Amino acid sequence: MSSTAPSQRRLQKELMSFLKEPPPGVTVDSDLTGQDLSVWIVHMDGAPGTLYEGEKFQLQFKFGSKYPFDSPEVTFIGGNIPVHPHVYSNGHICLSILTEDWSPALSVQSVCLSIVSMLSSCKEKRRPPDNSFYVKTCNKNPKKTKWWYHDDSV
Amino acid sequence: MRFLSENSQNFVEVEMGNCLKGSTADDISLLRGADSTRDSSSSDQLASSPPYPEAAPVYYPSPNVSRTATQLTEEEQVKIAKRIGLIQHLPTGTYERCKKNRECVICMIEFMIGDAVRCLPCMHTYHVDCIDDWLMRSFTCPSCMEPVDAALLTTYETN
Repeated sequence: MSSTAPSQRRLQKELMSFLKEPPPGVTVDSDLTGQDLSVWIVHMDGAPGTLYEGEKFQLQFKFGSKYPFDSPEVTFIGGNIPVHPHVYSNGHICLSILTEDWSPALSVQSVCLSIVSMLSSCKEKRRPPDNSFYVKTCNKNPKKTKWWYHDDSV
Repeated sequence: MRFLSENSQNFVEVEMGNCLKGSTADDISLLRGADSTRDSSSSDQLASSPPYPEAAPVYYPSPNVSRTATQLTEEEQVKIAKRIGLIQHLPTGTYERCKKNRECVICMIEFMIGDAVRCLPCMHTYHVDCIDDWLMRSFTCPSCMEPVDAALLTTYETN
């Protein structure tokens, strides 16, 4: 793995900073991530006092060679996909900072914080209304989806 | 046009109070509508900034649309040409010491004295190579998300 590409250098920095100051309830699988910086596995605990308290989730971050100019591909993976109005049962997340509102000043840490906060503000556990259609028809890459961001309340 | 060139002096002074050595010629030439005489010192500094090499030039007429030069529609070519023009008019300089901007949030590398930096109207500062690559995709400040073209106008109007 050549570590000279700008995206790799930045990911190295992000990993260091993440390990030093992980967001509350969030850890990165540094064994897996250290081997290949372009895919991170992140463990996330449902925040105390929220509908997801006691649940454990896994997130996968995939970074392209144009990171941080291009947003990472972020999906929930594993056996427990949070039941949430913006999370499809295949793990895709409808969150504007992951596509059109992405900024290179964002980081894995800030994306994790946004996802924790998105889960924490949920009032009722349910799947998005178009879940079954979306899951059947979508591209594997959530960034290929033309998302409609119509609800900022959850 | 006259009020713009006078005002640009203020702009440059503000910028010098922060992290940059002013590159006065650059800003004024732009405002007078002359061909931009790029500050030669800034190009000398480019080598020290982190490079973002691209195999064949790819353009981003909209954030999620990437095309090579030959694939661009005429409208997109105009849009990109305008954007390149606007980017050239944003002040550049070399990094001095600054408490507020210690690292470039795009590459997450600490600024070194002498790095070529560009300062947006909102006063956020980045390596020239880093921010130019971003501005070609989205004309917003990565830190405050302020649209750069709107902020440029406000800066000139209020000064």
